[in-house]
Amino acid sequence: MKDLMRIKCLISQDIETLLNQQIKKEAHSSSLYLSMSSWCDQNGFDFSADYFAKQSEEERMHQLKLFKYVLDMGGNAISPEVNGIKTDFAGFREVFEDALEAEIAITQSFKNIYAKCQNEQDFVTMEFLNWFLKEQREEEYKARRALELFEVIGEEGTGRWEIDKHVNKITYSEQ
Amino acid sequence: MEKACININELINVFSTKQGSIYQSDKLNCFFVDFGGKFARYNCLSLRKLKKVVEDIDIDALLLNTHKADFELVTFNGCEHIYLLNACEIVALKELLQGTFTMFKLNHLISDCLHRLVV
Repeated sequence: MKDLMRIKCLISQDIETLLNQQIKKEAHSSSLYLSMSSWCDQNGFDFSADYFAKQSEEERMHQLKLFKYVLDMGGNAISPEVNGIKTDFAGFREVFEDALEAEIAITQSFKNIYAKCQNEQDFVTMEFLNWFLKEQREEEYKARRALELFEVIGEEGTGRWEIDKHVNKITYSEQ
Repeated sequence: MEKACININELINVFSTKQGSIYQSDKLNCFFVDFGGKFARYNCLSLRKLKKVVEDIDIDALLLNTHKADFELVTFNGCEHIYLLNACEIVALKELLQGTFTMFKLNHLISDCLHRLVV
């Protein structure tokens, strides 16, 4: 008997489902960052608005990368429905706290998919996911550093203005 | 598609229950689902979709909802076939599809061992 399912698709249905869930999570993150960008812009934090707009684009790029992978492997990539995006924040600091929390959730989600791939011995998807795991190192680092600015600079006086100016300058280097 | 149009001897029985059977055609690279009085042809993608649609049906809600008939239309976009099934039939179809996909996994493992991993 021909192995028709395997001939048509490299990834299992379970992995396909997890990757589609991840596509949805990336889409959610992208929308959340855009919402943060909007809030920052409306409250006069121009640099942070730019920072979150760029983050939103990056998340969208991650979403499309996953989308393409599912299709390339013969799976059914699902364009996700995104709703329930938080649009209002209690303050400048809360925006960054939420951003870090979102990145931690994404990292955890990738770890879960990786664990499932390991279980199934799906080394092809594991190799594909390596790029995302490396990316999460940078994403979490940047989100954590941004939040740390609130401790280092402080919010009093012109503190928030200073923090806003520095957010865009955060870079990650492996060396 | 009627059974008469297909040479049943060319089909491989992947999995059967008392309520139905699923066959694979190596010649046509497709599957045939014999269930609920229908003999329907599916390709790989549509069979996976059918499984997902059936698994997504909330049978508890179907039985407990007194404002709705205990029947569910089972189909999806692009599918040529429609099933009108009651809760018992949905459970039976789910069992048939899950058994079939388990057989696919088993066949994949056997194919790996016999053909792909032979030194």
